[in-house]
Amino acid sequence: MKASWRSVQKTAVLVFGLLCIIALAGCSVAKQADSNKPQQQGEASTDSRKLVVDLANEAANLDPGLQYNFDSYAVYRNIFDNLLRRDPATNEITAGVAEAWKQDSPTEWTFTIRDNIKFHNGDPLTAEDAAFSILRILDKEFLSPQYANFNMIASVEAEGNELKITTNEPSPTLLAQLVNLSIVPKKYVEEAGNEQFNLKPIGSGAYLFDSWAKGTNITLKANEEYWDGKPEVAAVEFRFVPDRASRVADLLSGKADFVAGVSPDDVESIQSNSNLQIISTPTERIAFLAFNMVDDTPTKSTAVNQAIAHGINYDSIIESLLQGYGERVTQVLTPLSFGYDPSISGFDYDPEKAKELLKEAGYDNGITVDLPTSPSFDQRVVQAIQGDLDKIGIKVNIVSTDHATFLKKVQDPARKWGSIRYGIWSCGCMDADGTLLPLFRTDTIWSSYSNPEFDQAVDAARTTTDEAARLENYKTALNILQQDVPGIGLYQHFALYGASNKLQWQPDPQENFFVKDIKWVK
Amino acid sequence: MLYVGQRIVQALVSIFGVATIIFFILRLTGDPVLLMVPQNATAEDIAVLRHALGLDQPVGLQYLQFLKQIFTADLGYSYIQNMPVLDIVMERIPYTIDLAIFALILTVIIGVPLGMITAIYKGTWIEKICMPFILVGQSMPAFWTGILLIMLFAVQLKWLPSSGAENLQSLILPAITLASLSIATVARMTRSSMLEQLGQDYVRTARSKGVGIPRMLYRHLLRNASIPIITVIGLECANLLGGSVITETIFAWPGLGQLTIQAIAARDFPLVQAVVVLGAAVYIFINLITDLIYGWIDPRIKLGRETSQ
Repeated sequence: MKASWRSVQKTAVLVFGLLCIIALAGCSVAKQADSNKPQQQGEASTDSRKLVVDLANEAANLDPGLQYNFDSYAVYRNIFDNLLRRDPATNEITAGVAEAWKQDSPTEWTFTIRDNIKFHNGDPLTAEDAAFSILRILDKEFLSPQYANFNMIASVEAEGNELKITTNEPSPTLLAQLVNLSIVPKKYVEEAGNEQFNLKPIGSGAYLFDSWAKGTNITLKANEEYWDGKPEVAAVEFRFVPDRASRVADLLSGKADFVAGVSPDDVESIQSNSNLQIISTPTERIAFLAFNMVDDTPTKSTAVNQAIAHGINYDSIIESLLQGYGERVTQVLTPLSFGYDPSISGFDYDPEKAKELLKEAGYDNGITVDLPTSPSFDQRVVQAIQGDLDKIGIKVNIVSTDHATFLKKVQDPARKWGSIRYGIWSCGCMDADGTLLPLFRTDTIWSSYSNPEFDQAVDAARTTTDEAARLENYKTALNILQQDVPGIGLYQHFALYGASNKLQWQPDPQENFFVKDIKWVK
Repeated sequence: MLYVGQRIVQALVSIFGVATIIFFILRLTGDPVLLMVPQNATAEDIAVLRHALGLDQPVGLQYLQFLKQIFTADLGYSYIQNMPVLDIVMERIPYTIDLAIFALILTVIIGVPLGMITAIYKGTWIEKICMPFILVGQSMPAFWTGILLIMLFAVQLKWLPSSGAENLQSLILPAITLASLSIATVARMTRSSMLEQLGQDYVRTARSKGVGIPRMLYRHLLRNASIPIITVIGLECANLLGGSVITETIFAWPGLGQLTIQAIAARDFPLVQAVVVLGAAVYIFINLITDLIYGWIDPRIKLGRETSQ
């Protein structure tokens, strides 16, 4: 009798425990559901519905001084205005927060700040705010990862509605970088502190920050009083969906209206749904191979690199792997970049010639080389290169590690990383300076190549604002690259997005995502 | 009591060991600074940032700093998210707990009966129907199960959301995905444990006394078979609470698993250290609880040395 009473007790405790757990779980989920309800009702009651966007990763930061990866950019550039803009149709630099600018001397610039812009808290945007936005990036204590983009600036001053910028040397890329400079409110940032500013950012952009459920989503609301016209899309929700297949499923199931980070492999399933569309455009992003010409590997020889350049079936990569979402290039630049030289011939696919070149270089029995890579790169392209090179007698070992390890290996000053590396590069500045110099100049963190004449040409091109002289220098630099072959261009990358066919949007070559430019199809 | 004290000391030593290992392994494999700077950064820019984060100090010194942080319960500041690590982790914990509890409930209410049925009806058509489910659950990886469920319930039928963590419906598919493997594990353990008991003499005696099946199941079989089942459930529980990397990634569920992956990818040292140490602590704690439950369920298992003489 005693024993059975004991077991009844135990059962009661177990059942009670289970009930508690269920109740607990129910409560916490119900709370989340509640907090979401008003949004759903709001969505149904307004005409202009909320735009739902799937990003691959959570925006790490909404403070423009701190992060500038695609996922942070896609969100916060809607909250802030930039000092300058680019016309999406012509790619010309145009007025933004600065309505006009002039170059007073080779190193001195004056920008006139518009007087009709207000931050979301009602404060007016002034030249002080613009100066502050630059100075905090230059402040070494602030640890801005953007420091390298703006370190050509020697001093900044605000005078009335004018912003004066002095550079260390004449800087041809200053304007291109100022296109990426978001203006933050000095007073609010100083009062709230950096941490709070990141969590509740206030800008002057077309969208106001609304909410941020960490790990889940960020929502923005249209700024009805935006100085450059009221945006059409009333609200936008950015969701963070790391798995590509899940993003496509979100699009197919109607959960999301717009999906970034789509692969050519997804095009068919998206296009087969009559409610969806693929949106694509050529970008300034270039896919390339770089060869190690510093370490003692076979790619130290120009002949070997020429053989590799002739051994790759470029058209096959573009047609079969990228489904046509790519374009042939002749150099490690896209035609969208300042400095691109149409007279450079590049390399054709010619496996016979490639084999001959290898033989001439003294490699009759073929060679074996290492190709370090990481999952951040399209592994199918890497495997296609491996396959193509195998046919001309070059055995490629693909050494794949995670991206952090890859960077550590490739950027180690010892340059013992292997022979070939595949990369995909965009400087976000549409200028050869942002590509040729970091990739190939002696002793930059990426370069495994050294040629004083090349160095001289790219150095000269970055310290003058005379466009003709710059073009001449890049012509020289590109011809040296064609001769020495420390790297080759593979293809021009196309941006690829999946979207509901109810929305209308023109993407740009810099892969910007301004919600203000999106319209609903009526 | 002595026994419990010893176990707690052991647990603390294990956590300390995990913290030390993760500290050194992280620093061997990658450099967060390289991931933070823009691609056109110079070696100088990198050096400035590395110095500011204190990563240019000797590793030994960094380790002492880290130990000091652990003892003062200060988990540090995330390099990437510019927030205290503790705040970031605390925001994710409720999501992981919700998912773990739902998956655990599914595991227990499906896994245990399934195991019992396949044991009692061994050799009959009932077993033949149930076994394939266990095998499928055991052999389908989460990334496959998850995508199939999304394709069926979200894309085709449009009953449930394909991803996200917005309401109760969002929880269903990830919980099923997460539970499918645990269900199979628990069912198999229950089955083998029950089969072992079914062959025992006391079962025959009970049967000859005319004890009915429900009573026999509950009073005799389940109690005797429960130790290995509870062990497995405890382990599954620890697994689930540690955050499920794959399931959370597929369903964009913002729990600890997804956070871990993001933190590792960015080499956000303070955040990775915090998540790993926390995960280890949960694991160790649940094992401790499981051990204590043994004694409660089966008084023959005495706790500790005091009774072993």
